[in-house]
Amino acid sequence: MTGCKKFLDINQNPNNPDSADPSLLLPTVQASAGQIVGNAFQVYGNMWAQYWTQSPSSSQYKTIDQYNLTNTSFDRPWLTLYRNGLINADLIIKNPGSGLEFTKGIAYIMKAYTYQLTTDAFGDVPLSQALQGNGFGSPKYDKQELVYDSIFNYIDRGKVLLAINSVDPGAQDLVFGGRKTDPAVSTPTNIIFYWTEFANTLKLRAYLRLAGVNPAKAEAGVKALYASGAKFLTIDAAIKYSTVGGNQNPMYNEMVALGVQNVVASSTAFNAFKNNNDPRLGKFYEMLPNQSALNSIKQGSYASESSTIVSYPSGLVGANWTNASSATAPVKLISAAESYFLQAEAVARGWASGDFIALAKSGVTASFVATGLSAGDATTYFTNAQDGQVAFDAASTVELKVKAIITQKYYAMCGFQGFESWNEYRRTGYPNFLIRSVASTIGAGRLPLRMLYPNSEATSNLNFPGNVPIYTPVWWGKTTITPAP
Amino acid sequence: MLFAVSAMAQQRTITGTVTGKEDGLPLPGVSVKVKGTKTGTMTGSDGKFSISVSESGAVIEFSSIGYLSHSRTVAAGNVINVSLESDAKSLGEVIVTANAIKREKRTLGYSAPTIKNEELVQGGSPSVISSLAGKVAGINVTSSSSTPGSSSRVVLRGGSSISGSNQALIVVDGVPIDNSSVIGGASVLSSVDFGNRGNDLAPDDIASVTVLKGPAAAALYGSRASNGALVITTKTGSKSDKMSITFTTSNTFSNVLKLPDYQNEYGQGYYDKKPANGKPETYTIDYRENGSWGAPFTGEILPWGQMIDGVRQTKPYSAVKNNVKDFFTTGFASDNNLSFSGGGDKTTYFLGLNSLNSNGVFPGNYDQFNKYGVRFNGTTEFSNKFTAGVSFNYTRIDANEVGGGQGAASVYNNVLQTPRDIDLPSLSDLNNKYNGYGFTDAKGIKHPNLYGYYGTYTQNPYWILQNYKNLNDVSRVTGNFNIGYNPYSWLNVKERIGIDTYSDRRRTLAPKFSFIDGDESKDQYPGNNARTNAGGYQIDQFNVTELVHDLMISATHKFNDDFEGSLMIGNNIRQRQTNSLSTATNSSGGLVVPGWYNLNNSNGPINIITDQITKRRLIGLYADLNLSYKNFLFLEATARNDWSSTLPINNNSFFYPSVSGSFVFTELLKNSSINNILSYGKLRSSWAQVGNDTDPYQLLTTFSKATVNGSFGSTVFPFGNVAALTAGTTLGNINLKPEKTAAFEIGTELGFLDNRISVDFSYYKSNSKDQILSIPIPNSTGYGFSVVNAGEVQNKGVELSLRGTIIKSSDITWEMFGSYTKNNNKVLSLMPGVNQISIGGFSGMTAVAAVGRPYGEFYAVTNMTDNQGRVIVDNETGMPIPTTTAQYVGNYNPKYQASLGTNFRYKHVSLNVLFDTKQGGMFFSRTKDITAFAGVSAETGGNRFGAIYPNSVIQDAGGNYIPNTTVGFIKQDYYTGSRPAGTNIVDGSFVKLRSASLSYTFTKEQLKRTPFGSFAVGVYGNNLFIWTPKSNQWADPEINSAGAGNLQGFDFTAQPSVRNYGINLKVSF
Repeated sequence: MTGCKKFLDINQNPNNPDSADPSLLLPTVQASAGQIVGNAFQVYGNMWAQYWTQSPSSSQYKTIDQYNLTNTSFDRPWLTLYRNGLINADLIIKNPGSGLEFTKGIAYIMKAYTYQLTTDAFGDVPLSQALQGNGFGSPKYDKQELVYDSIFNYIDRGKVLLAINSVDPGAQDLVFGGRKTDPAVSTPTNIIFYWTEFANTLKLRAYLRLAGVNPAKAEAGVKALYASGAKFLTIDAAIKYSTVGGNQNPMYNEMVALGVQNVVASSTAFNAFKNNNDPRLGKFYEMLPNQSALNSIKQGSYASESSTIVSYPSGLVGANWTNASSATAPVKLISAAESYFLQAEAVARGWASGDFIALAKSGVTASFVATGLSAGDATTYFTNAQDGQVAFDAASTVELKVKAIITQKYYAMCGFQGFESWNEYRRTGYPNFLIRSVASTIGAGRLPLRMLYPNSEATSNLNFPGNVPIYTPVWWGKTTITPAP
Repeated sequence: MLFAVSAMAQQRTITGTVTGKEDGLPLPGVSVKVKGTKTGTMTGSDGKFSISVSESGAVIEFSSIGYLSHSRTVAAGNVINVSLESDAKSLGEVIVTANAIKREKRTLGYSAPTIKNEELVQGGSPSVISSLAGKVAGINVTSSSSTPGSSSRVVLRGGSSISGSNQALIVVDGVPIDNSSVIGGASVLSSVDFGNRGNDLAPDDIASVTVLKGPAAAALYGSRASNGALVITTKTGSKSDKMSITFTTSNTFSNVLKLPDYQNEYGQGYYDKKPANGKPETYTIDYRENGSWGAPFTGEILPWGQMIDGVRQTKPYSAVKNNVKDFFTTGFASDNNLSFSGGGDKTTYFLGLNSLNSNGVFPGNYDQFNKYGVRFNGTTEFSNKFTAGVSFNYTRIDANEVGGGQGAASVYNNVLQTPRDIDLPSLSDLNNKYNGYGFTDAKGIKHPNLYGYYGTYTQNPYWILQNYKNLNDVSRVTGNFNIGYNPYSWLNVKERIGIDTYSDRRRTLAPKFSFIDGDESKDQYPGNNARTNAGGYQIDQFNVTELVHDLMISATHKFNDDFEGSLMIGNNIRQRQTNSLSTATNSSGGLVVPGWYNLNNSNGPINIITDQITKRRLIGLYADLNLSYKNFLFLEATARNDWSSTLPINNNSFFYPSVSGSFVFTELLKNSSINNILSYGKLRSSWAQVGNDTDPYQLLTTFSKATVNGSFGSTVFPFGNVAALTAGTTLGNINLKPEKTAAFEIGTELGFLDNRISVDFSYYKSNSKDQILSIPIPNSTGYGFSVVNAGEVQNKGVELSLRGTIIKSSDITWEMFGSYTKNNNKVLSLMPGVNQISIGGFSGMTAVAAVGRPYGEFYAVTNMTDNQGRVIVDNETGMPIPTTTAQYVGNYNPKYQASLGTNFRYKHVSLNVLFDTKQGGMFFSRTKDITAFAGVSAETGGNRFGAIYPNSVIQDAGGNYIPNTTVGFIKQDYYTGSRPAGTNIVDGSFVKLRSASLSYTFTKEQLKRTPFGSFAVGVYGNNLFIWTPKSNQWADPEINSAGAGNLQGFDFTAQPSVRNYGINLKVSF
């Protein structure tokens, strides 16, 4: 009988390992965030933030401009978030191995980052019972407020772990390359990792997100952050892609697979750049070979512009399938510019000390430099643009200061951080020149203010809370946003 | 001591073999007696006997149920071979049941119809599985395109497994063979039908097929036969027979059976202004278009296509009615078989050679299917009571399959979208500058990067045929070796080792190209209608090896004249090993050098799609007890225990029993007058349970190489030099237990008027529970699927076969037969809280297993209807309003099936005709969708502005639905827009002339001066005609894009099916 037992004992899977070293899971967590920020949410974000609109000569994203989406549209991003991003981050954190503190620290911070992406998109999402396999076969949905509490918690735990001396994940960390320190602020006695700066900047972003819905909490959180002596990002936290097939910028990779250019310049952002004489216009958009000048069409006007040749987003931002340099466009999880604009807002709200205009200007400069322009170009622009120095100088109230900051942040995020730009629009209502897509099918006065829960949850989760219409704001969202006429 | 006794009696030992006269197969269990003595024995499973006689002149009597008794007087020799003639009256048919055990039909407690070779090959189909269609009740065969090498699926008594295979197990000479169906292409969306491996068998090598429908019949095969089994016996030679050489050749022509119905009123283009204020609509003629939404035909000569060398071609603006039909050509296949068979005193042999060479209905020599096979079956007896047999079969396939679906390689998809006024066959010359890709202009200047083909949204299908390849190379060996030992007449020991091993290598070639339109006018072709493809090369290599061992020890005992019994115990060990390796050039980079199809030509890292090996083993112990009383009461009980490697090691044992009985009640009425009418009557009943294991490696949760997918693209690791893993998709389950299927059957076989009329009826019910399912779980758990034991599926049904001989004389026999099958399938439960599991689906259409509904229900958004089933249309646009949620819109399983056939013989001419039908099933037709989108199908014709949607209602001011007589819809707006998937569900009912044949057999007299022993010539056909309901204007419902898998009824622009007809000839020497 022992012989029989041995004869039958062949069910060990030779094709797949049943354990994984945390350093091998980390790149997956980060690449998932890259796919979401750089592709799935990149398309929605850039279209709903009105940098881009559907091309009149293709059709893939018509429903996005129509605000007319089905739940199945969100199956894939939800899957990527939970099954590529969050679960692997969670498995790193739960790994019993020792000496892995730095890797686990990154995993905590990426988990916080990914949960923020998830809740900002969908509102209430599974967290406390999520990622436990059969333990909770139907995870309940947690209130967005609680999800944010967990985000703060994960960031704090991550920061603690980063400080413990441990194995350097090195190149397995696609964002910073492991235990890299920021030479600008590190001292021999106080070493500051880029990851610590990332954690602080993320925390600042998350608290400011609550500035409208729970100002007291936001203020306390931001103040405590500054009180701890937090340093913020001065470089882009980005994943760099290559021209190698499968390693390309995710949006470019997607477009090549589709074999067609679906997104073109939207007049909303395009005209705002133009009105400010912004040299970044020519960086964020690109002429077609048979075009003599850049041009754009009104958001959602693909049906009436069928014969117009419209400019494409540039290769710089990864959204031009005819330009091979799109392949190497980075995906910015948090940009240096964003870091400065967040700090500017903290100061403008009086929750931190400093010069909010100088910080905003640093944000503008960081954006210019990132697009290949010079700091001098930034200064010239800021001095002359109507949304530049003038607007900042005239900002007499916190609200106007925030308006000036978010408007500049909007310009800086064009093509790179569409989703975050749409988030800030939903939070603040700025910039105030966004219109209602002319293709909208969801009724007058309505805007897309969240994403729909995926069909896969509706059909498989017993605790599915029910669909929420696309025009209902999330918990932290501003309840009254009036689009420009 | 034994020696002494035998020496003293001075006895002789007579040995021999008893065979059946009709098929030449050995007859087991024949009683062999020395007349007037008590000496007697029985033949073994190989038909052999050995008996002692004391003197010459003794008479040996041979008798067996179902055969006429026979006596032979012992003469000089010690060998007596006998062939018994069957006794038609007793219906004592001997059939091959589980484990190649021959049983007399009357003793069986379950339905087990048998189809003999002659009947199998009548229609000339090269597929054994397709040849079974309509021939027995309870069998559901779906033949897809009916071309050589295409898939055919066989399900007995409905599907019972939610996620596992539902096909019958195929057993050849006692050894189960693989019947994998791995559809080619990335998915059903771009499917390539490489067939299923069960069709590798050559029909000509087959002696008979017995259909074991229920689990009771198949209990001894255990787990894999829970869906029933096709028990195939291949041909053998006969002992002491001269060599007979037989040659058959079948030469088959084929053409397309059913194409969509077309509109012939409108041509290329689209409307740009609808009729308004008394003004008629206006149209744009768009030379690039694949749509036929243009102006009504006028017949005038108009330009079309691209302007090259300053010239745009012209043609009449009128319909080319047969432009799709004439694209297809007549296919031709030649199937040749040569066999040698015979035997010596102690040996038999059969050597069969066959070849099948086919060039299908697509133009040119691209859709090729070539199959070659050799089979050797031999048996020998040794003097020491040992016997041995060997069976060997080698098959090789070399083919190129044409791609279906909507991928770049799909020919049919492009054919269907040809505007009604364009003569597709005239575009076949790719050297013509207006037809091809890359051309030389009038000045002799080459333009390798320009194309002249008119379409910018479709490709020239002739060019696709020429440039895209799906090559297939299969090499397969199956066979078995067996040794028998007959120490005593009542004891038989048999050991059999079977093997099935094959390599299935597929290579997919996609060209690398980049063309832009070459039009000089630039008025309709602005110069940016690029046709590009990075190209690609993929190799899919599948290797499957299966080894089976069976040791069977059987003993028979006659307790007294009335009461007999036999017991068999056996041991079965099997191992199945699979190896799949799919590699391709980089998924985004494609090829570096066009035309060089080699992985070394990958533009970027090679894409390893699958690298998987699996191994599973199973040990089984079984017993089979048969008891018979007075030749009218029979009881069989089987028991089996399996130990499987795929289940948790402490829970890997499962036991399953079966019991069946048969009562031939007419034996009790033998002398009554009822017997004159009811000549034969039998009641039978059985109950069985079958256990089942699962696939390997379902117990643990694993990790895999990381790929982060977007909707179309993906981030693939290694990322530069960075490797990564990701949590697996499926949560394993360390607590799995075996699945269980319990089945009950009751039936009767009746023969009337000397068995001129016979009836076979069964009622059955089976429940499959604790199914091992991989169920979808919320992604928020971190995983996508969880392996569980859950679910119960029930099948209930009736089967009826009727056969009647209307005329029986020496010159004429005329026989009619028919069958009726009705299976009710229902999913009783799934998991707690889970009401529905997806079986698969595409384009918004899903086939599901839903609680309370039959397995395989279609589930999709469809048109909203009122409570009378009338379509609700929008008050302004007149277009149907879609439902807000998905609905159940039909099922692919037919409500019932039936067949009707006749065999007619007049002297040497025989005619066989078989019709079959499936009624009440539905199928999803993308052919419907795409032909409507392109404005070519009949439904898009007629009044295109303001026709009222059929059977539609509108809501009046009071909220009531009133018949719509006023609000018309614009067909172009509707059909080119997004219609819900549910509207592409089509009634799948059909009646087919499944097969017909007419043959003439020359008489011995006629052949006297020829070298031929026999000579027959005939014409035949299969899949000859189809009748579908009026509502099906698109396709043969049998075509299926997903091959022989569980996802059925999916016409995802699947290849059209073909009708086959030809001439055959059979000679023997």
